[in-house]
Amino acid sequence: MSLVAVFAEFRRDWAEALRFYEEAYRALREETVVNKGLMIATSTRLPPVQRLVEIRAVAEQLFFKISTLLLHGGKVEEAIAWFNRHFNSYKHLVGLDEVSFLHWDWLSRQFLVFAELLETSSAAIPNTLSSHFGTPESSLTEWEIQPAYYYQLAANYLREKRYCLDNLLSTGDSEFSRTSGKVPESVMPSVFIGQSARLVEQGDMIEVLPLSDAEYVQYALSEAQRFQDSYEIIALFRKACESFTNLKAPRLASLCSNRMAKEYFFTEDFTDAKKLFDTVSSLYRQEGWVTLLWESLGYLQECSIRLDSAKDFIEYSLEMASLPIFANGDQEIPDSKREYGPAGLPSQSRREALQSEVLSLVRGEEIVSRTDRGCSIAVTKEQPVRIDVDIISPLRMVLLVSVAFHDQSVKPGSPVMFTLSLVSQLPCSIEVDELEIEFNQPKCNFIIINAVEEISAARSNGDNQDVRIETAPSIVLPTNKWLRLTYDVKSDQSGKLECLSVTARIGKSFKICCQAESPASMEDLPFWKFEGMVQTFPTKDPVLSFSGQKVIQVEEPDPEVDLILNASSPALVGESFVVPLTVIPRGHEVYSGELKINLVDARGGGLLMSPRETDPFSSGNHHVELISISRMGDDDESRIHSDKIKKIQQSFGVVSVPDLRVGDKWSCKLEIKWHKPKSVMLYASLGYSPNSAEAARVNVHRSLQIEGKIPISITHTFMMPFRREPLLLSKVKSLPGADQNVYLALNETSILIVTARNSSEVPLRVKSMMIQSNSNKNETPYSIQHVGGVSADDSLLVPGGEFKGVFSVRPKIDSPNLELGSVCLNWNRDLTLSDSEDSGVVTEQKLPAVIVEQSPLVVSLEFPPHAILGIPFLFYIKVSNQTNLLQEIKYSLGDTQSFVFCGPHDNAGFILPKMEYVMSYKLVPLCSGSQQLPQATITSLRYSAALNPSVTATTIFVYPSEPNFFVADNEKETILAKLNL
Amino acid sequence: MIASVAVVGHQNNPLYLQSFTNANDALKLHHIVHCSLDVIDERVNNPKRSVSTLNESYLGLLYPTESYKVYGYLSNTKAKFLVVTTDLDVKDADIRSFFRRFHAAYVDAVSNPFHVPEKKIVSRTFAQRVSGIVKAFAAGTNG
Repeated sequence: MSLVAVFAEFRRDWAEALRFYEEAYRALREETVVNKGLMIATSTRLPPVQRLVEIRAVAEQLFFKISTLLLHGGKVEEAIAWFNRHFNSYKHLVGLDEVSFLHWDWLSRQFLVFAELLETSSAAIPNTLSSHFGTPESSLTEWEIQPAYYYQLAANYLREKRYCLDNLLSTGDSEFSRTSGKVPESVMPSVFIGQSARLVEQGDMIEVLPLSDAEYVQYALSEAQRFQDSYEIIALFRKACESFTNLKAPRLASLCSNRMAKEYFFTEDFTDAKKLFDTVSSLYRQEGWVTLLWESLGYLQECSIRLDSAKDFIEYSLEMASLPIFANGDQEIPDSKREYGPAGLPSQSRREALQSEVLSLVRGEEIVSRTDRGCSIAVTKEQPVRIDVDIISPLRMVLLVSVAFHDQSVKPGSPVMFTLSLVSQLPCSIEVDELEIEFNQPKCNFIIINAVEEISAARSNGDNQDVRIETAPSIVLPTNKWLRLTYDVKSDQSGKLECLSVTARIGKSFKICCQAESPASMEDLPFWKFEGMVQTFPTKDPVLSFSGQKVIQVEEPDPEVDLILNASSPALVGESFVVPLTVIPRGHEVYSGELKINLVDARGGGLLMSPRETDPFSSGNHHVELISISRMGDDDESRIHSDKIKKIQQSFGVVSVPDLRVGDKWSCKLEIKWHKPKSVMLYASLGYSPNSAEAARVNVHRSLQIEGKIPISITHTFMMPFRREPLLLSKVKSLPGADQNVYLALNETSILIVTARNSSEVPLRVKSMMIQSNSNKNETPYSIQHVGGVSADDSLLVPGGEFKGVFSVRPKIDSPNLELGSVCLNWNRDLTLSDSEDSGVVTEQKLPAVIVEQSPLVVSLEFPPHAILGIPFLFYIKVSNQTNLLQEIKYSLGDTQSFVFCGPHDNAGFILPKMEYVMSYKLVPLCSGSQQLPQATITSLRYSAALNPSVTATTIFVYPSEPNFFVADNEKETILAKLNL
Repeated sequence: MIASVAVVGHQNNPLYLQSFTNANDALKLHHIVHCSLDVIDERVNNPKRSVSTLNESYLGLLYPTESYKVYGYLSNTKAKFLVVTTDLDVKDADIRSFFRRFHAAYVDAVSNPFHVPEKKIVSRTFAQRVSGIVKAFAAGTNG
């Protein structure tokens, strides 16, 4: 049948070939089953052992053909099903014990060949297959279509083969080996598949003779011994491991690594074995698989002995001993060594044994390897062992140290309670000889000695003679029970005091150094966090257990120096405000003192500048600026000292303070200038050493809030000359209230009244008020003159008081935007400080731009300054045409109760260019007092603009009778001159 | 026959693992259960899976070894249930009903107010109940 199949394959008739190969395989299977029953009893062509080898070889050949054809036809599922059938049919066909290694070798080859076939035809595997895994429609699972799965199994069976072979060779008393101890020569494969024959030379003739089973077994054994199976096994596991890693199956990959490591261990390549076991262990640790970790650690422990590393051995042994295993595995199950490796079955008793083994090692005994009795390790004084345990180390289970200060801060030199809690998960109690507590301030370090130990002995051991030594009655750590030790700690150095580590010494040459942990932020123990054990707290006080910290803040010593800051009144914007600062030593002397001055916005935000202003180095941008720090007093020495001032920033200054003794006094003044009204916190801190020898510094802090206020508010108003109203067309046309622009008539004199009001709480003196032109040119487009106001010779301005300056303004050009300059007010405080120079402060305020335009008509009213009841007076309304056009006007005068008048109520008239039109009325006052003249309205028809003289301009005082007052002639002239301007 | 049952927490840590074989193969079963977690990860995170299988707790056959088969089940709280059987031909319905009962027993065990979530299940009642379910399963499949 197989010949027909081969012929069909030759004809490329794959379906036919497959059918015949399958048929041939079935026929072989039937023969195998028949044969199996009769295997020993009947004698066939070949002896039984070789017969079985032949059957396997033929089956392999046929199966190889079938699976190749199936896989190339894309029938992956069918091929895998065939493989499973093939495996199940032959897996129990082991044969005699002596040749069982041949069976495992054959099985391994089946997996290897199928894996390679799958790998070469992986393109044929459809992608849709993966969506059906695990469902009833699919009998396959994810890994069955992966070559890595078969590689791994091939390696497993090869391992089995090696194991059988080793067993066989180690016992060496099989029936076959007894009957013939000689390996036959010149054995070669026969022409038939799966058969072997011996070549015998007889003269020139070469004869092929059959082999007896005993000869064949000897031959097979010698052949098997020639191969280094371990390398093959490692290669197969490595291949599988890499594939599984790529397939994101870390656990299967680590299983392969585990097996690979075991093989390395078997070949005595302990370095590679240790490396792989370490990788595997980390996954088991991470996921909490205790039994699996136990096995790996057992191998690692043995590797460490063989590599002569006592430190590693102790670490692995301690980790194993502290794993949560509670099984009572006292009875050793046979073969457990093969299954569990050198560590044996995980059990409580094994843990205890491991612990005592380690303890005897660190106390000087020797540990011998379990696999090689000639190999051993020891811990000696010359080669001490130190193990470091950090917060991620698995050895936290062995020793966990939690430290807590009972307070959050402490004064220097005063003691603070410090609780040290230790816990161990080792199965038996462990006695510690000495505990060394290390802080970040080495002066605080101390040692706790087991009272059983001689203190003198401990002292002689230690290099640090001046380290504090405490004794504890006994330092014994029972399983999972906190050992709590409380001591006082005293620190003289201010700052942070942190407990860094606690080192436990057991024996003379073994130390285990644990990083100290705060109870407040302590992580759960690995492995033990999954155990349902009773939760215990590191300290008796539950509050401390939840919030205790391994860090404490050592405060600065209380300063005994007075730092006095004074500011009598709020600061005024613009002035150089002086704050006196005095340093008076009370109890401490001041050495290498340094005074820091800092200005901070009192409302927060820190910086004293506006965020919009980009250049922080320009002094103009700072709202408040520290100008200088200068020494008070007039002696020359102080001047020299003032040179040492280091001014760093506009809001920050540093100055060195000379050495001061108790009773001395040192003062300086801080000059601060406000550019904007701001409330500012002035921080002054003096750092000094109370003793010239010591580096510890003491700081005194003072702060003072100083309000910065605007001293003077300046307002201004523009007015028309008395009883003179120019017609300003754009002013008439502008909507009322729409804009706040000031309109001035060209070539007309206007009055500017500037009012300075003292808005501060301190009396001020105004030294001068003037208007400064912005343009540098000599020719200004307007003329301004100071015409009057309150006398500016150091006039006192009480809080709330006002100072008025009167200026005449006469624009000379027609401009929609005429800059008039700024008002400059020179003032100073009325209470001048003793040594400040009376230069005064200039407050400057810019005047807004005005609109200047030509006025076509100017109305002026003329009437006497006062009238007398019943006596008529003349009232002229003069309209002057400033244009070159003929202007038509209408005018009217309304009736009032206070006056009778003669003249037209309404009238119209024409004004020639550059001429004046005069309307004259005669009025008789009927009431006395301040009276309103009849309302006059002048309307320009050309501009459709009406002009009503203002109320103030048309008010007259009416005396009941002729008043008698005397005005000197010269004053009369002055007044008249001023009125006429 | 059921060789082993396991409950695995959402950090892939074993919460309950019990073997029902007399042979010395506990370590091997631990390895098998641990490696099966890869398949669960693969199956839960596989975007190609159909919606009907995505929403189902029963994950099906995870991992065949030469002499065992592993089946998986995932609860809504991401607790993983695994069963290792030595029967190579088990009915899907039997396994499903086994998992339902196993899940119910687990729910009862963790509902105990003294049980802390994510800690190992040490309840003796749970162990007895699981042995009962395993025995019933063996009886059901044999019968």
